[in-house]
Amino acid sequence: MAQENEKLDKVLNLLRKSSPLLDSSEDIEKEVIKRIKNIDYSGTVLAEAFDFMFGWIYIGWVRRCLVVASVALVLLFAYQQAIILRRIDYLSRQTVVSEKENTNTHADEMAKMLVVLRNAGRRFPSNSITISEKQMKELLESVNELQLKYKDLENLIESDPELKKMIQKKLMENNRTKINL
Amino acid sequence: MIDIELIEECRGGNFNNFRKLVELTSPFAYSVAFRMLGKEDQAKDIVQETMVTIWQKLKKIKSAEGYKTWIYRIVVNKCYDEIRKRKRIPEFVTDEPAWRLISNKISEGPSAALEDSEISKIIGILTDKLSPKQKAVFILSDLEGISNDGVSEITGLSKSSVKANLYHARKSISEKIEKYL
Repeated sequence: MAQENEKLDKVLNLLRKSSPLLDSSEDIEKEVIKRIKNIDYSGTVLAEAFDFMFGWIYIGWVRRCLVVASVALVLLFAYQQAIILRRIDYLSRQTVVSEKENTNTHADEMAKMLVVLRNAGRRFPSNSITISEKQMKELLESVNELQLKYKDLENLIESDPELKKMIQKKLMENNRTKINL
Repeated sequence: MIDIELIEECRGGNFNNFRKLVELTSPFAYSVAFRMLGKEDQAKDIVQETMVTIWQKLKKIKSAEGYKTWIYRIVVNKCYDEIRKRKRIPEFVTDEPAWRLISNKISEGPSAALEDSEISKIIGILTDKLSPKQKAVFILSDLEGISNDGVSEITGLSKSSVKANLYHARKSISEKIEKYL
């Protein structure tokens, strides 16, 4: 190792001592003066303005900071995009019911719809069924229809005392509050 | 010796003073350019371009010390550009005569000196595996004798990066010397 370093030192000393010599410095002087005299200064003001505005790019630490900041911004952008895509994907899996009449529905009806939906949820595990908007509308309409029929039946029973008595008797016999029609 | 008064006189547009500045600046600019590029013509072109750049930006120079660092920075950057223009660096081939030359010169002792063509050959075989940055750091630090702080300022690298580049450059050169010398 020491021998290796010794050799390196010798080579370096040899190179240090032997500095390249410029033999024609006068030629360089002449050429430089000639080029200076031929310089077109029209663009100098523009170049100076450019340097004044963007000269900071030559500062190492500023350049490095900008690189870090741009990388951070790109990462942040990618992260946000990922979140947005995940949200869109999640929302696209949800059943959307946004009919005008539904928004105007009475609170009772809404509660009934929720019961229907909850029952449907119990019967079918999540993600195993997809219901279209049309099907949902049909389902709600049939629930409303059924409800109307039930009310009609109630009215009918109330208006006819004979029928009411008979139904009450039947209910008493079976010890039930409801009857299969 | 370059002093701030000479630079200030040059700012006034005095070509004679600028000739003196060129005369004082050219040797060390040429030394770095030649050691970096290994070709006399290219090194002279770099010196000329550097001096023209200095003439155009004399207003920015604040001190004589800063001037020297600034010159080095311009030369090194122009050398980087030149190296980039050489699209592909040729594959390393063991250069027997160059290693024999080093061996002979070392055995000659302290009186040994190298001609420019010999300097070019030796630096060429020692640094052909180095990156442009490593080569610049090695030349500025080990051959031009500039401190790590100075090299850091010239190259725009951090001090730790300068040390790391210098370590790798020396290691690579040591390995070659051990292998071929």
